[in-house]
Amino acid sequence: MSPPTSRTQQAQVGPMDTVGRDTRRIDAYERVTGRATYTRDLTFPGMLYARVLRSPHPHARIRSIDTSRAEALPGVRAVITHETHQVVYGSGSIAGGRQYSDEAKDITVHKRYMFDNPVRHVGQPVAAVAAVDRYVAEEALELIDIDWEELPFVVDVEEALEPGAPRIWPEGNLGLDIRNEPLPMGGVSGDPEAGFRAADRVFTDRYTTAFVQDAQLEPRSAIAYWESDDKLVLHTPTQGISNCRHDNAKDLGLEDHQVQVICKYMGGGFGDKNGSYYFDLIAATLAKETNAPVLVELTRKDDWLGTHGRWHTVQDLEVGVTNDGTVTAIRLNAHSGMGPYLRRSGGLSGIDAYACQDVDRTIYPVHTNRMVSGNFRGPSEPQGYFPIQSMMDGIAYELGMDPVDFALKNMLRPTDDIRFTNYMLDECIERGRDLFDWSSRWRPQPGSDPGPIKRGAGMSFMMFRAGVGPSSAILRVDSQGRYTLFVGVTDIGPGAKTTMAMLAAEELGVALERVEVVWGDTDRCPYSVGESGSRTTMMTGFAVVEAARDLKGQMADRGIPSGDDVLIASATPTPGTEGQRRMCFGAHFVEVEADTQLGHVRVTKYVAVHESGRILNPLPARDQIRGAAIQGIGQALHEDLLYDPRNGHPLNAGYYGARHVTHMDVPEIEVTFIQTDDGYGPYGAKTVGEAGIILGPSAVANAIYNAIGVRMKELPITRQKILEALA
Amino acid sequence: MDRKDKQAETTGSDAASSDAPSTTDLSRRDFLEGTGAALVVAGATPTFASADDGTARGNRPVQQVAPVPTTAITLTVNGTRRTIQAQDRWTLNELLRDQLQLIGSKIGCNRGECGACTVLLDGEPVYSCSTLAVWADGRSVVTVEGLERNGEVSPLQQAFMDYNAPQCGFCTPGQLMAATALLERNSSPTDGEVREALVGNLCRCSNYNSIVEAVLAAAQTSGGAR
Repeated sequence: MSPPTSRTQQAQVGPMDTVGRDTRRIDAYERVTGRATYTRDLTFPGMLYARVLRSPHPHARIRSIDTSRAEALPGVRAVITHETHQVVYGSGSIAGGRQYSDEAKDITVHKRYMFDNPVRHVGQPVAAVAAVDRYVAEEALELIDIDWEELPFVVDVEEALEPGAPRIWPEGNLGLDIRNEPLPMGGVSGDPEAGFRAADRVFTDRYTTAFVQDAQLEPRSAIAYWESDDKLVLHTPTQGISNCRHDNAKDLGLEDHQVQVICKYMGGGFGDKNGSYYFDLIAATLAKETNAPVLVELTRKDDWLGTHGRWHTVQDLEVGVTNDGTVTAIRLNAHSGMGPYLRRSGGLSGIDAYACQDVDRTIYPVHTNRMVSGNFRGPSEPQGYFPIQSMMDGIAYELGMDPVDFALKNMLRPTDDIRFTNYMLDECIERGRDLFDWSSRWRPQPGSDPGPIKRGAGMSFMMFRAGVGPSSAILRVDSQGRYTLFVGVTDIGPGAKTTMAMLAAEELGVALERVEVVWGDTDRCPYSVGESGSRTTMMTGFAVVEAARDLKGQMADRGIPSGDDVLIASATPTPGTEGQRRMCFGAHFVEVEADTQLGHVRVTKYVAVHESGRILNPLPARDQIRGAAIQGIGQALHEDLLYDPRNGHPLNAGYYGARHVTHMDVPEIEVTFIQTDDGYGPYGAKTVGEAGIILGPSAVANAIYNAIGVRMKELPITRQKILEALA
Repeated sequence: MDRKDKQAETTGSDAASSDAPSTTDLSRRDFLEGTGAALVVAGATPTFASADDGTARGNRPVQQVAPVPTTAITLTVNGTRRTIQAQDRWTLNELLRDQLQLIGSKIGCNRGECGACTVLLDGEPVYSCSTLAVWADGRSVVTVEGLERNGEVSPLQQAFMDYNAPQCGFCTPGQLMAATALLERNSSPTDGEVREALVGNLCRCSNYNSIVEAVLAAAQTSGGAR
């Protein structure tokens, strides 16, 4: 990991002593024997069970709330409501959708409370009960009497913007930025008007994408107890214990050190859990009220409607192109449905993967009375890439070009102004084209198979941030030559703690078995950036390598410690890339079979080629791409959350209703990594986790077009939509 | 947190509960006598696990929870015969997790959609969230904790480790149980047969490819599940 000597450094890399070799997870045994303890597997003496009462209305004011009957139920120990506890849930929603920001929390006029009044979506928490068991807690919820004043509601993004639409906030239904102003994201670069004038043809189209619940299999829960009046212990499933601690401390009026967050295992993350959640606050509050450990359990329905998912969008695109196939201008007008709170930005990516610099993007986050939107793996990517890559695919056909050639002609490449630490998109596309056998699978004439079952092929490409940044690690060696690595990771599934141990072993030059990992506990581990943004490997991993180097130096100077002595190294590096973009790259090639009589689509081949720098642990890295690609297929063909416009109620919450993919629905995802070392990150490692989900919807949709000859512009591409399109 | 008002309101309640510090103990004893319950395992009575010592600051006095109907059942769990006074409302999953501390069986949905709670009932995979505990009377239950033999993981567990079948691991016990049942009845399944047998077990990490590969590999190495 010497300093980079060339911005085009692209050394092909092979396995090292530990890094780069398929390595079984250090916790594999725990995961296959049921010994891995997730939050609600824990019990504590005297632990109470809590349940959350949720709004049955999409928009309503609580005139009065009477908890006396619930409190009188034997076994009930505490009932809390918006009247008893006014806790601002700061990381849940603040103007601008920022990661926790004290400033934004103070400034915003759109505060979100642990319990809010009025409530603004079906499923919003209104009260919580702690009781001696979960049956009593559930029964008590039914004994809470609320006098509701139902308010007008709106669940459609475009209707929410019409004059006279029901107002979710006094300021209107546009999301507010950090200054409480309803300004859009995006902006103008270059000269879009000149770009459109230079175009021979201009294409316009509208695309929509659906809400997709993160839907991690572990329904969320939290256990809180107060070790003393000013020390809270919180077991909660979080992707980032450090940020979770900070958020909870801020909302509860505590200092960071007064909160201990523990998460040893988490049953899936998939985004926006690198912080606190309101059920943490409920658990902490009930634990304080009852002086007992309290477990808050969300049911699956609670989780589905009471957490978050990918923001749904409506996107109008306009693309100018010359007859030789050069894109000259792009305009995007988009609205992202955020639910009633701006938990995250609502931004959209994808246009930035094209070379065209004359771009006009206007993206408004919009409030509705649907459930809250937030980050899901590649927060702004799949729903951003699907429209633009569908548009470009269609333009290629209009111009008589092969979509792969059109991609290679128009994708963003390094320029004097736009420098990359390395650039591997050509290689990804060309390797994918060969591995997929594009020339034999792609139909120059879309929909040309005789049917009724038609085949077709599509592709898409992407680049995604692989930035470096600060995180911390502590490494210790004892007189037995045992190494203990302290890292604040939680290991939500990608195998982070194994990766961290591998990096330490590699840099120390010792066997993996000599490195023990201490993880998932803020009182034991230093700050970690958290397992979101696909950053743990690059940032915490880099800190591990730095700490190992430091420890090696200490050992060279002082030798292995003796007796009870230990040597300790701590590292919090703050690496940079000298103004270069550090990106990972990928291209997906998909073949589908579309049944034109039944509307059914089956993915028959899926080739994913990625450059993610050096691959540290190949098997789990491959499975990150496979799993993400399949989630992308789910987004393309299956998942959504429908609302009944008459009553504002969700219609298909849950795995079955959202038609989640099963073992029967998935193809083999063929993954190829082109490995490089750009001189940054730990041994050149880059982003993996999110990269694989970005291209599923666009590549599948493009393949469907190639198969049936009709462009599908709304996600998910269901049977019904295909039959309607072909009718 | 704004707790001051609440504390003021609940002073009376606190006083009431501290006047009766032994309420819970009495309740437990009364309950056990009343139902003739056989205490199943140590500490396995979460219904009364609040262990109220009179210091609680809850906004309600502690009162006796109404007794619920129970039935004595005898079943074999991971090879051990057990007699349990089961509440009629308990699901098999609640019996396993809450009473027997067999936490390997997960609750993903608690409504028969995801399969994380899958266990074997007389060798057949069932959703333990959708099976009442009393239905297991006289029957044999195997959970993921029962797959190891003499400290050795089963070939299927070994393959799951070798093939990286768990990502987050939350669906893994259910996948393992469904696959165990499959290999018991079909020691050399095809790819399609594995998928069909596991169709009721969702994996949101969507590591479906590796799970199927692991099952096929286990079948090849062992010709059976155990």
